[in-house]
Order: sequence, then C-alpha cells, then structure tokens
Amino acid sequence: MKINLTINGDPRELECRPDESLRQILRREGYFSVRFGAETGETGADAILLDGRLVASEIMLGVQADGHVVETVEGLSPGRGLHPIQEAFVTVGAIQSGYSTPAMVLAAKALLDENPDPTEGEVREALTGVLDRETGYLRPVEAILRAAAVLRGEKVDPLESTLVRPLADFDGTADLDSDEPPLDLPPAALRVVPSPEVPDTHVVGKPEVKVDALKLVKGNPAFVDDMEMRGMLHAKVLWSPHAHARIVRIDDSKARALPGVRAVLHHENVPRVRYASGGQSYPNPLPHDQVSFDNKVRYVGDRVAVVAAETIETAEAAVRLIEVEYEVLPAVFDENEAMEDGAPVIHDEPDMEGAYDAVRNIVHHIEADVGDVETGFAEADRVFEQTLRVHQVQQVPIEPHIAIAWLDGDERLVVRTSTQVPFHVRRMLAPLVGMPVRKIRIVKPRIGGGFGVKQEMLIEDIVGHLALVTGRPVRLELTRHEEFVSSRTRHPQTITMKTGVNNDGMLVAQQMTTIGNTGAYGTHGLTVQMVSGLRGLSSYNCPNKRFDCHVVYTNIPVPGAYRGYGAPQALFALEAHMEDVAAGLGMDVLEFKRMNWTKVGDPLDVAAELGEGAAEMKFIPVVTSSGMEECVAQGQRAIGWHRRTDPEWRFPSDRPHIRRGIGFAMCMHGSAISGLDMGGASIKINDDGSFNLLFGATDLGTGADTILAQIAAEVLGTPVEDIVVYAADTDMTPFDVGAYASSTTYVSGMAVKKAAEEVARQISERAALMLDMGSPGDISLRDRRAWAPDGRSVSLAEVALHSLHQDQQHQIMATASYVAPDSPPPYAAQFAEVEVDIGTGQVTVLSLVMAVDCGVPINPVTSAGQVEGGMIQALGYGHCEEMVYDDGGRMVNARLGPYKIYRSDEVPRIEAYLVQTMEKSGPFGAKAIAEIPKDGVAPAVRNAIANATGARINNLPFTPERVWAALNATE
Amino acid sequence: METIVGYHRPESVEEALALLNRGNLRSVVLAGGTWINTVEFPQPVEIIDLQGIGLGEIRTDETFVEIGAMVRLAQVARDTAIPQILQELARREGPNTVRNMATVGGAIAAAHPESEFVAGCLVYQGRVILSRPGGVTETVGLVDLLDDHSMLDGSIITTLRIETDGLGVAERTGRTPSDSSIVTAVARRAPDGRIDLALTGVASTPILVPVSDTRGLDPPGDFRGSREYRRHLAGTLSARVIEQLGVRP
Repeated sequence: MKINLTINGDPRELECRPDESLRQILRREGYFSVRFGAETGETGADAILLDGRLVASEIMLGVQADGHVVETVEGLSPGRGLHPIQEAFVTVGAIQSGYSTPAMVLAAKALLDENPDPTEGEVREALTGVLDRETGYLRPVEAILRAAAVLRGEKVDPLESTLVRPLADFDGTADLDSDEPPLDLPPAALRVVPSPEVPDTHVVGKPEVKVDALKLVKGNPAFVDDMEMRGMLHAKVLWSPHAHARIVRIDDSKARALPGVRAVLHHENVPRVRYASGGQSYPNPLPHDQVSFDNKVRYVGDRVAVVAAETIETAEAAVRLIEVEYEVLPAVFDENEAMEDGAPVIHDEPDMEGAYDAVRNIVHHIEADVGDVETGFAEADRVFEQTLRVHQVQQVPIEPHIAIAWLDGDERLVVRTSTQVPFHVRRMLAPLVGMPVRKIRIVKPRIGGGFGVKQEMLIEDIVGHLALVTGRPVRLELTRHEEFVSSRTRHPQTITMKTGVNNDGMLVAQQMTTIGNTGAYGTHGLTVQMVSGLRGLSSYNCPNKRFDCHVVYTNIPVPGAYRGYGAPQALFALEAHMEDVAAGLGMDVLEFKRMNWTKVGDPLDVAAELGEGAAEMKFIPVVTSSGMEECVAQGQRAIGWHRRTDPEWRFPSDRPHIRRGIGFAMCMHGSAISGLDMGGASIKINDDGSFNLLFGATDLGTGADTILAQIAAEVLGTPVEDIVVYAADTDMTPFDVGAYASSTTYVSGMAVKKAAEEVARQISERAALMLDMGSPGDISLRDRRAWAPDGRSVSLAEVALHSLHQDQQHQIMATASYVAPDSPPPYAAQFAEVEVDIGTGQVTVLSLVMAVDCGVPINPVTSAGQVEGGMIQALGYGHCEEMVYDDGGRMVNARLGPYKIYRSDEVPRIEAYLVQTMEKSGPFGAKAIAEIPKDGVAPAVRNAIANATGARINNLPFTPERVWAALNATE
Repeated sequence: METIVGYHRPESVEEALALLNRGNLRSVVLAGGTWINTVEFPQPVEIIDLQGIGLGEIRTDETFVEIGAMVRLAQVARDTAIPQILQELARREGPNTVRNMATVGGAIAAAHPESEFVAGCLVYQGRVILSRPGGVTETVGLVDLLDDHSMLDGSIITTLRIETDGLGVAERTGRTPSDSSIVTAVARRAPDGRIDLALTGVASTPILVPVSDTRGLDPPGDFRGSREYRRHLAGTLSARVIEQLGVRP
C-alpha cells in the first residue's frame, strides 16, 4: 500500500506492506540513523520524532505514520555542520559506541523544543525511552543541559579536567578517618587526582573529542547494517526448542520448496569441523567441542539449521517448515548437579576433543597453589568459610550480533561483522568454511557495544557458509530474544571462600573453591575461570593460597566473555567474604583490608600459576604502581563514609521502615594478558603532514581509536585531528588480538607509540636533511613542525612534500608491534550507598563512587565514561539483572523490561575519580581501565546492605524477595 | 508482524464499529499500538487503527473528568485536570517512547496486571463508556470490565470517566525505582471518607480489594515475586497507603 508522510521536511510517498514497522521502512529509504535494538522497541535505538514526539519506530506500523511528520537525526544538520545538541554530545563525551546517540539527540530535541530550560530530572525523563549500556547516562544528560544553555544563548565553558587535591601522603598513608565534606562539583566534572610523577604532555591526558564522534552523532552510515548490497539474502536460524536432544531426523524439503529460499543448511549438509568459538589467540584453548551444525542440541537456543532467502519473512517462514524429529534427553542446569553420578552426559560425541572428564561433564579441573593452605589453616588463629553463588547475566549490547558476508571480485570471502576480534575470526573461520586464511577478509566497522559478547566467532561461520553456497551476499542479524538465548552470557559460579587469619588481622591462608558453569560449550570456560582464581587470590597478600576449580557443562545458554571476565564473580565472593571476616574479627573493614592488600613491590604470586601468559613463562610479577590509598581516601570523602556508623543517618526517624548503609569493595584488575596479547600499528605520512594510523585494535565504543590517535599525536607533535584512524580490517591493518582483557591502551597503545617514534625518527632525518644539519638527533616535533635546537623549523607538510616528491623520495612510515611482558594492575576503591526497605526487601542504590588508579588516563573523558558506564552495568549485575529459566531450560525473561537494565531516570548518583599514578611500563604511564569498573559494585552494594540491616547476602542479584528472605532469616 | 493482511483507518466511531463487526474477518483494534505491535498473531488479521476517530479530549466537571480513549498517556501524565496521583501513575506506564503513543483506551483494553494507572483508575471509580453497533452506548464500571473482558467484544472504548476529588496515594515495590512494580497498592479516600484500595501484581488484571483484608489473595507467582512474597507485599503496601490516608487499618 501507499503512505504519504513528511520525512525531515520532505513530503514522501512510499510503498509498504501493512505489516512493516516504520523502522524497516525508514531504513529501507536510507535513514540509517534509525537502528535496530529490540523487536519489541525497548532499547529506543529505533526512536524517531513523530509530530515532534519521541516514539519507538520498531513498534509502530509504517501505515500508522501515514499523514504524519517524521524526523530523524539526518534532518537535524543537513550538510556538514552540527546542531547545537549534537555539538554538545560531542564536546562533553556523551558518545561511546554511538549506536543510540541519534535517538538520544532526538530525545533532546523533542524536550528542548518544548522546554528550553529543563531541570536535570526533566532531561532524565526525556531520555527514558533510550536505553544506554555504556555511559551510565551521566554525560548524555550533561550534554542536553549544555545544549539547552547554548540554545538559550548562554556561554558554556570548554571541557577541562578538574584537578582534585590528593588526600594521601606520598608515602602512601592517608588520613582515612577523614570526614571532611565531599567536594561540591557538578556531576559530570572530570575529577582527576594528579600525581607529581607524571610529566607534562600536549595531547595525552587531555579530554580530546572522539575521532569518530562526527559520524556517530550525525547517524551517518557506520555500523555493519548501514550498508546496502544488491541481491543480498537474509538468514534466519532454527534454534533448538529443547535443552538436550538428539536430532533423529531432519527434513528440509518443504523449506527448500518455498519460493525465495536459496539455501537450507544443517548437520547433514555442512562439513563436521571441530572448533572452539571463543575469540582467543592461537591455539584456541581446549575443548574443541563445537561444529557449525551438530546432530545434537545442548540448550534451548542451540543451532539446528539455517535458511537463506530473498526476504527475512521468507526465511522465517522457511525455518518453520523445517521438520525436525528430536529424541529428547534429560537435561541438567545446575553446575553442582551436573557433576553428580547419573547426570546426563552433555558431550558424548566420540570426536570431542580436550575435556577433562566428559562423562562427568567436567571440562576442566584447574588447580593452583602457593605455599600450603592446609598448614596455614592449621596455624591460623581463626578460620572463616562461606559459600556464595553468582548468577547468569547477559551483556546486552544495544546492537545485537550482526554479520554480512559476500564474495568479492576475486571470490574471496568478505565478512563485515560486529566483532571484537576480527583477526581471530579470520583464523578460526578458515577451517570451518574450508578456505585458506588468505582468501578471507574480516572488516570491523563501528560496533554498537560488545562488552565481551563479541569476543567470539558467533555467527560469522553461518553467513560464511551461506555466502559460499549461494554466491550471494548474506546478512544475519540476531533479534533481541536470540541475543539473550543464543549468543553468550556471564558464567554462573558456586564459590567457597575459606580464610585462615590471625587475631591481629594478618591473612595466613586463603582458599577459593569454584565450580564454574560453562553451559553447553567450553568456549571461554577455561580462561574465565582462571581469571576468577587469579583475581580472587591476587588482591591480598597471603603466604598460603589455593585455587581449586571445576568447570562443568550444563544445558544453559553458553557463558563466554563478559567485561570483567571472571573477576566480577571472584571479587563479589572475595570482597563479601573479607567484609565478613573483618566483622568476625571485630576489626574495621578498611583497616583489615589495608593491612593485607597488595602494595608496590609485593609479588603477585598466583599470576605465575594462573595468569595465562605469565603462567607460560612461570615468572612472578610485582606490583609496580598503586594508587589504592588515594583511591580509598577520595572515595571515603565522596561517599561520606563516616555516616555508616551514625545511627541518626542509618535509621531515618521519619521513615521507620528504611535502613541506610554504605559499603566498600577494593578492586584490582590486570592490563592485558602479559606475554600473549599483541597489538600492531602502522603509521604513514600524507602530503599535508597528516598521518594515517592503521591498527587491528577494535574500538567498540570505548574510545580506543581516539586514545590511540592521541598517543600517535603526542609523539608526532600534531593535534589529534591530523591523525586519520582506520581500524580494523584484516586486509588493511596490522594484526591485533582485539578488544579484550583490558589490553588496548596498554598493549596496542604501546605499539602505536613505537610506530610513532619510528616515524618521528624518519621525520627528524628528513628535517635534518632539509635544514642541512649533520645529525637529526636533537630535532623535536611539536606544533606540526620539526624543530632544530637553533630554533629553525620545517613544517610536517614541508617534510612530507619533500620526502614524497622532491628529493631522495621516501614514504615516511613505520609499523610496530608490542607484546607486554607484564600486566600492571589498576586498583580501585568502590563505594555504594543504599537504602533498604525492611518491610519489603527493596534495595534502592543512592550513590556509587569509584576512584580508580588507571595509571595516567590518556583521555580523562573516555576514561571517566568507562568508569561511569561500567558502574551502572555492574550495578545491573548486582541488583536487578538475571537470566531466569523454566524447568525445561527455556529463558522466561528474554526481553528488556523483564530482564531489567537501568534506565536514565533511576540511576543513582555516580562519581568517578581518576587517581593518577605513573606506570612506567605503560604508554605515557597508562594502565587499563575498561574492566575494573565491573568488579566492585556488587560486593559494595552487598556490604552496604549488611551495614544497613545486618543481612549478609551471598547470592546475586539483590532483588526484593531475596533481600526480604535474608532479612527474615536474620531476625 | 507479517500476519497483518489489511489496514483500516476509520474516521468515526461508527465506521470503526462497522469494520470491527464485519463478521468472519479477524480484526484487531489498534490505538497507540505499543502493545499490539509487539504481539505475534497466530492467524492473519486486519488492523483497525483508531487514530482518525477523534476521542482525544479531556473534559472536566467539578468532581469528575472524562478522558477520551485516544488521549495518550503522556497527556494524562501532565494534565492538571487529572488527580496528581493518576498523573504519576500514568508516568509509570513505560518510558516516554511508549507513553507518547499509548492511549488511555489501550491501557484499559490491555489491562496489564502490572498497570498502576489502571489500578489508580479503579480507586477513582473509573467508568468506561463503550460504543456498540447501532448507536448503542453503554457505561460500565471499570471494575466490571476488568472482570469480564468479553464486554469489549465488538465494542470500542470511547471514554474513561473518573472522579477527581479525594486524596490518592500509592506505594510500590520493584527491583529498581523505574521497574514495573512487582506489587503496587493504590488507595484513595473519597470526600465521604470511604477508602478504596487497588493492587497490581496479584491477579490477571489490577483489582480492587477490601481494605480490611488482603490475606485472601491468591497471586500468581513468577521470578520477580513468589505467591507468598506477593501476598506479603500486598499486605505491607496496603497497610502503608491506608496509614498515609490517616486511617488505622
């Protein structure tokens, strides 16, 4: 049928079907800023303005828009400029992946058109329709308030860091009883606690604008799906309805007969090649327990078959026509039950490789010892033991998995995919599709969030097989429901902590016994659980340590990598346990933890057993920098720590059913996998003295492209705008392991620095030639010029033209790579303030403060964004997110809403402090920051609930009924 | 949504009723569409989109207000003619993208068990005006309509009438502040002193319950709240709202 509507001021007559959503129609017409997030509209990535109101175009029929006025972000700034709202989003660092930024900009426009002077609350209300998994909403709110001021004609200040006076003495002791009032700073202030050890820099350390901000804020085509290909087919997967079953018979004849169907693939017509889907370095850790399509299914949501057809609707219809006869088998979901005698054997296939004891569903048994815990427990004055359970959650990137594959003119397979690991995908895909690596190219464009779920070769083999079989481009995009049940999740674990301690508080022995649930497949099961042991036993010094871990198969959807990678589980257990040990000893929790936490010079002995790379080399790393004392001091002041013992505050007299509390957790993470993670970068000069910077590192919205450009710019004496970034593309850019393990700044950053230093050397040589100097040794680069010691200079453009065109022609360029020998830990202090309703068990989190020592933040605004957004993601883990199943293993809440992620109008006050230390092994002093914000919120909230009510809860998340039950058990 | 095979946009209630009562065609009435457009239909349907029939007015009298069925929840949430508690409860019906499309009539027709707005309308003595074929208009109690959903068959909701006087309060428990509540208690003290109490999350729709006793409830349990816990919340939250109204339970 025909509809008439106005889009961005243009009257349009469009043809559509009555069942098409407005989003589908707008995207077909080229409005790429209107994006898919959920088939039921909750993410708001699909939001547009309809007659000036923000609406979700996914849950609106196109025909409903007949006669109406539609606005998308493409209409906001036609041409090359930016609307003041867009300008503000760019300036204040409100953009991370940018996938939903156009929707937020529209939300802002709708608000400001009606209300030029909104309150913060009104701004938060205006953003309720757009879910954000990245920023914690702090900077988007700030951007809208700033845009409002600009539109009212008010002056706004440029974004600068606010330097916060250090509280700790330089010998590392702080006045930790400080009860001075918190700093009165605006919410989005960039709180940087400087260190005198950090040298001055021009570009590094500055809140530079993201290099990809323009395309993101304007909604320009940038993501996997923002590309049109003629003749593209659409894929749909038939997923298993059973938690555990054998496929007895599969009949695809009706599906194949449906007009428009071009291919149907399943275990009978796809070669059986073993692999492990986790995106990791060669050789992929065992077990190799997957094939593209198997004759057995192991969870509800497992692959059965796939269809490629001319339209999505045809593919969906064909999937329903595939007849499958299953022999349903008993299933097991709990990691403890899976190891019991008589439990169903999940991997009984004869060609399965590398499980520890497949008959008992045990994939791995990991053990690590330092000293002798049994002797330690025997010698300790007191021994404490408790068992904790952490649950399963999903990463929920707003952009679900999507990949498009095609054969290029040379009939090489090209896959454009939303991945964190393009180089691993290329290597892992090759045997599955039966092609050599040289015939495969993986392109990673902008990614709408990953958080680890895209550290996986999840769907690339499917589109690869289909493109090869059909000879046509093939697109597969997971729905939100599919993203929940058929992608990857966080590992649930049962963890028993046992600690021997002397009466003075010194740790004598500490043991962590873990059963990790890796679901139906091994993928990241080994390494996630190793990191759990590493993180769980590294924060505190202790002469005797033991980690004993079984990783087991069950029939739940598959856990994999999720930001934090085993650390959030371990640190929940550790920090809850340490809180309770302190209480058991009658000690102040900070005093107890401080006595034991690792300090500069302390060995990280467990890393020699459990740190992947370090374990290979069997060397014991040592803490080289720590701002822990400063982090604690800043956090204590910001949260108002002294109130936790003030009865008037804890028991508000006007609200008798409310109890208040404050909790603390210390956090320690790593910076990359030492000895293993490698990044490469390549830089070349252009005629105008600008540079192309190419690397394989993958920016998922984290700002990696920007901080890597800042590192290059710092070395080359240019502003960031002179650095043109391209990443990542396996044909074009050097190798990089990809975005995981908090490695990009520390490892890829060093590769960029090395490449830039070599380019700088070549520039100096050329400048010396041009300036008739004997030696280039003393030439320095700054302000886009190469300077001789005598004050003469040539511009980089002159250097480029001279070297490319004029004399002894030479392309100034360099490639470098870096693998870190070490993984210096970032440290952080996480504080949480809560209210608990003792009548209902409802927990309301009022404040989260995290002070982080990430070394020198290369970019304080992207660093702060990592902390702010990470804390809110981590709060979801502790407070409200959970994957829930029925008795048959079917997820009952695979939809946003029932699966609850935080919305703009309900996030607590969040404050990030960036505590500088000078980590000499990192680029310009940097350590990592990406994952540590995920580590401390759950235990800090847990400890705050304990402070408020006395209830010590050992299971996540802190949903009202669980807390209510714990309160009743306490009484 | 692929099973939608037809779309109609009637320009009057009469035309909508005629389309709806065509006999053997399966028709679905669409108001804002925020709920209907997330539903997968098992059989082909034709959509009757009510956006052209008007019914977008809010009319006030001294002690009651009549809200047109096509008034959007976003309008309810900021119309001062509507009791403040009902404005707040309307604001809790999903994010702004939903409230900017969803309508009062749609909220009543859906009668989601977690709808705090519908619970609020119950305690404000909500009455629903239905149009039926042949020019028949019928006013029914919201409580009766929720009890017998078949009243809506072949009918169009045109108006919600609620009282506006008295004092209303609400208490809720959810996982987070903006979560759909597990249980909400809404109570109103009418000018004559009578107290009405409604609950969400304890039955298949929001329900009115006797002030004196919530122990007879038999709520369906789910992962957010077991039967026992919901029963506990019903008692605790009811006691709180009644206490806030200055009445000893």
